[in-house]
Amino acid sequence: MKNQDILSEIDRQSGMTVPEGYFSDFAARMAQTLPEQPWEKPNVMPRTFWQKVRPYVYMAAMFLGVWCMMKTFDLMRPQSDLSIGNNPVLVSALNNDSFFNDYCAREIDETDLYDDLYDQGFNPSDMLSEQE
Amino acid sequence: MESNTNTDDIELVARLQNPATCRKAFEEVIARYSEPLYWQIRRMVPNHDDANDLLQNTFMKAWTSIENFRGAAKLSTWLYKIAINESLSFLERERKRTNLSLDDESTHLIHAIEADTNIDGDELRLKLRKAIATLPEKQRLVFNMRYYDEMKYEQMSEILGTSVGALKASYHLAVKKIEEYFENND
Repeated sequence: MKNQDILSEIDRQSGMTVPEGYFSDFAARMAQTLPEQPWEKPNVMPRTFWQKVRPYVYMAAMFLGVWCMMKTFDLMRPQSDLSIGNNPVLVSALNNDSFFNDYCAREIDETDLYDDLYDQGFNPSDMLSEQE
Repeated sequence: MESNTNTDDIELVARLQNPATCRKAFEEVIARYSEPLYWQIRRMVPNHDDANDLLQNTFMKAWTSIENFRGAAKLSTWLYKIAINESLSFLERERKRTNLSLDDESTHLIHAIEADTNIDGDELRLKLRKAIATLPEKQRLVFNMRYYDEMKYEQMSEILGTSVGALKASYHLAVKKIEEYFENND
């Protein structure tokens, strides 16, 4: 038999076979084993010092802002001396004996008065000798 | 049909070059080319298991060097080149491992073909495989590409880096040797 006849008779089939479903299984299996490429990895950059401290700096700035705001309001408030000596109404009231007796001395207990006197070195016998 | 494949390949290459679509596109490459590349490899190596390993290596190499593929060559040409290099490297390694000369390799291949279980049992096809196994490596490659894949000499020239004239001569010589094998082994 001439070679060309043989080649045409064989019909370009090699006679080799593969296991059932080999090619479809191969494609799926191969796709799973492909390693990750550098460009597929998520781009995770290390955090810089500024990125680490930024929340704390922002929080400190917020508190500083609040403090500055309160200070500003305090400075804007009209300055006034609330001591009794600088309040003319209170001074005149306290200099008025009847007001003092009516509204302040009335509340003073007699025992408290004696306690104060004894604390200041008061001696009743001295008072008696003065009367004699 | 071929122009359709070329158009598909151009579109596929464009997707391969885009990092966002590269993996999906390569999975399509595997689905499209695993069968033709498998047969190309299988005709060169003794059995299915070796062909399977080499096909995996082929796609793995293609994937790891996908960045270097700029689409200057046709996708199929590039893949065939890798597959053929893998096959020839494997045969070289096997020769060294088993301490075989090029002449002994034919006998070794014929024994492997006889032991192959993944065959359809056709005696004539088996005899042709044995005849092809007697050819030198490059001639075997040329004959397989031309006879089984019906590949054009121009594409073979791109893949093998040999002139069209040399390929024609190589194929012609291969056919002569196969003819002699059939005459001597009737």
